[in-house]
Amino acid sequence: MKKWFSLGLFGLSSAYLAYGLQTLDIFDFSGRPGAGYFPLIIGSLMVLATAVNAVLDFRADRAVEAHPLPLDPATEATAEMMGVDAHGLDGGKRFPRDVLIVSALLFGFIFFLPILGALLAMIVLMLAYLFTFNQDELLTNVLYSLALPAFLYWLFRILLNASLPIGPLGV
Amino acid sequence: MLTDIFANLAFGLSVAVTPTSLLFLTIGAFVGMIVGLFPGFGPAAGIAVLIPMTLGLEPTVAIIMLAGIYYGSMYGGTITSILINTPGESATVASTLDGYPLAQKGRAGPALVMQAIASFIGGTIGVVLITALAPLLADFAASFGPSEYFLIITLGLLLLTTMMGDNKFKGFISALIGFAIGTVGVDVMSGQQRYTLGSPELIGGVYFVAVAIGLFGIGELLHCIYNGLHLNPAKKLKISFKSKEFWPDRFDFIESRFTFLRGSIIGFIAGVLPGSGATLGSIIGYSVEKKIAQDPENFGRGEMRGLVAPETANNAASAGAMVPLLSLGIPGSGATAVLLGAFMMWGLQPGPLLIVNDPGFVWGLVASMYLGNMILVALSIFAIPLFVKFLDIPYRHVVPVILLLCVIGAFAIHASIVETWILFLSGLLGFAMKLYGYSPAATVLALVLGGMAEETFLQSLIISNGTLAVFVERPVSLALLIVLILVIAVPTLFALRRRLGRREA
Repeated sequence: MKKWFSLGLFGLSSAYLAYGLQTLDIFDFSGRPGAGYFPLIIGSLMVLATAVNAVLDFRADRAVEAHPLPLDPATEATAEMMGVDAHGLDGGKRFPRDVLIVSALLFGFIFFLPILGALLAMIVLMLAYLFTFNQDELLTNVLYSLALPAFLYWLFRILLNASLPIGPLGV
Repeated sequence: MLTDIFANLAFGLSVAVTPTSLLFLTIGAFVGMIVGLFPGFGPAAGIAVLIPMTLGLEPTVAIIMLAGIYYGSMYGGTITSILINTPGESATVASTLDGYPLAQKGRAGPALVMQAIASFIGGTIGVVLITALAPLLADFAASFGPSEYFLIITLGLLLLTTMMGDNKFKGFISALIGFAIGTVGVDVMSGQQRYTLGSPELIGGVYFVAVAIGLFGIGELLHCIYNGLHLNPAKKLKISFKSKEFWPDRFDFIESRFTFLRGSIIGFIAGVLPGSGATLGSIIGYSVEKKIAQDPENFGRGEMRGLVAPETANNAASAGAMVPLLSLGIPGSGATAVLLGAFMMWGLQPGPLLIVNDPGFVWGLVASMYLGNMILVALSIFAIPLFVKFLDIPYRHVVPVILLLCVIGAFAIHASIVETWILFLSGLLGFAMKLYGYSPAATVLALVLGGMAEETFLQSLIISNGTLAVFVERPVSLALLIVLILVIAVPTLFALRRRLGRREA
């Protein structure tokens, strides 16, 4: 994934530079640096740096594929005992699926925030999150899902007088 | 000069010692300690997430509270370093080396008390040095022109990207990303819109708070989830300050008496230098102490000096980092970059004139740091059993608190859903950056300073009729340029020499 992230950065940098060149004036009418002068410098440096970075990451990835990094004997022995790939053990277990779930919940929360209003959207997010990651404590989940949003609503809306999205319930 | 210092401090105390300031200072210090307790959630994230909570406060009170979070996290981070060998904050990593072995030897109580005292001494010496140094540096910087400012910003970013993080090149790219985000909005010189994609909400630019909360708050949270922190069971720990064994003995103090001073000075110097900050300060403090000790073999096995040195250093460094921030308007770390953004949000103009134009704010903040350290040492010793209780809360229960605070906070500042989407995208970017070795701190620093960097660079070009001569014609500029070149050239030459040596071998 690292190499694809680097490639993505290169793509975005190129788009930044191209869009800047297309829409901004590099110099103004009197020949002084214009609105596009600084973005041109930054964009050029970004394209150059991210291109080199992507090449380095692709090369490093290919090197690892060709010659996998040697593991320490203890990790290999543990992997053999557990009957799993030793490289999977190196550095401990990771949870990309949980990151995806939380990101999706966050996306949904922001999407529904102006539709449901702050209080209701917070309660829905809390319930969805807690019933995914804390399934054993039903009562705690419900109480926590009501108490925390109510506290935050009170803090921001009433105490700090900040404007929050209002939903069908008027809160 | 000494009378000036006392007069300034007395003035600062008159600003800071009000019931409101003291209340919010205590809240900031308390929240800072809690922020420090949770691994992966550093002071930059804590300050960014809690900025929206300062809405409606007086600017000075708001900054006093945010600064309290900043140095309070240094105190809190060590509690987990000592008790469970997990640093709550990167600046307290060095404290695990002897802190945890001390706890294993049954000396957790003395270690916790000594770290609180060390933090207090480091923090207080640091604040005394700020009081003396900040006005001097501001006086010196008052003669700076745009070329010097541009070079100082570049040097600060360069030091940050080269000293922090494993990959300097990726740090450089991170800074460029920050500059690029900073160019969105109306160009102040020409009035032309840049990268707004026709959205009226982007005319004012990408607001730094949403990006900072996303990169630090959401990004770090997703990274913690990726590492499975949300599945870890809560740590049930019990500690009581009523027992006799809780307190350090006379020998602990006698043995560490010079360590307090050495650690403070080393840490302060590290803090003043942009980019090095509390993490590097604590590591240098520990290494120096070990090197000069007559019994270096005891370090790493529960040696009190091995805990006192990094603790005094990281607290003095967090005070030291305030010197360039207050006198030049240049932050040296992610956390101080977020603080600088908060200054700007409250309409304060950072730079050498800040001390002249807003003495009440500057000296009130400095005086609050003296008071904050006193509050924190009391909290650190007498409220340890309470803070240990926070470790009973499983991380999966903390996750929704952070999520809601981030989103509601980002929305509440300008009531803008676009800024909330920017927060989401910054969160994903922050997670990927942390995962693949980039530096979110460099991105935020470049975003906060981007406008100033562009303005000073273009002003320099205009002064010298479009040439770069202004950077070598002025003596201070030239000196800064030489330092800049050395910072790039020296490590490159060393790396090249190492590579050649390896090839020959």
